[in-house]
Amino acid sequence: MLGGLIEANVGSRPEKRKDFEALASRVGIWVTDIEEGVTLDFQKGRLVVHNGLGPKRDLTIRAEAGTVMNLSNLKIGLFGMPVYYDKVGRGVAAKLVQGKLRIDGLLGNLATLNTVTRIFSVAS
Amino acid sequence: MAVKAFSDEWATQFKDEVNHSSVYKSAAKGWKWTVGLVVEAEPDKNFPEAKGVVMDLFDGEAREIKVGPASAAQQCDFVITAPYSRWKQVATKELDATKGMLQGKLKLKGDLPTIVRYTKASQEMTECTTRVPVEWPDES
Repeated sequence: MLGGLIEANVGSRPEKRKDFEALASRVGIWVTDIEEGVTLDFQKGRLVVHNGLGPKRDLTIRAEAGTVMNLSNLKIGLFGMPVYYDKVGRGVAAKLVQGKLRIDGLLGNLATLNTVTRIFSVAS
Repeated sequence: MAVKAFSDEWATQFKDEVNHSSVYKSAAKGWKWTVGLVVEAEPDKNFPEAKGVVMDLFDGEAREIKVGPASAAQQCDFVITAPYSRWKQVATKELDATKGMLQGKLKLKGDLPTIVRYTKASQEMTECTTRVPVEWPDES
């Protein structure tokens, strides 16, 4: 589903296509309450989705299913940064503070996280 | 009083639950597409023929919910397909619909960004299903 979401987003929004074509990174998403996940291997305009958490990931996002869906609902604001001050953003930030959303590899990969968030975002 | 699963009476009660839900009304503002639920047959569970639930949902209201052939549900803008026992798990809160879609246990066809945008509405709609008392064919 996550791969399909990216495909749909990139296909319909030129700004997301631009991000997608510039992104080279391996991002893991682990859904904690179903104990399943994927590794998204972004290869500058190509995406390979692997089941499970593969090796050499730059970032790993660990969260419950609802939070993963909320990440997709983050609005994108000024300078392409996710908006954390509206209702959805505050909810995501709260999960981060509570430890219910973990992002491994954040240090040094903030720009990658922002790019991935922009690609995932369905908020208009 | 319990109604037979996926019967006309069930559809009526389900529609009433959705239209009584202020949470759904608010979360589904702007939604303007039809949703079809395909309930695949499982003869060994006393559900011998596939059925379709066609939901005409518009801007926070369920204008019509009706049960018919699976082919009717497959014509909707969004189609969610699963075997009977999987839908029973959703309706009895054994399986969360969001998790089910992420796991591929509920097959979703339609514009994914749109359905993700309305996650809260789909969660409340699932809640509404759980409020309808049901007679399940594999339990009779």
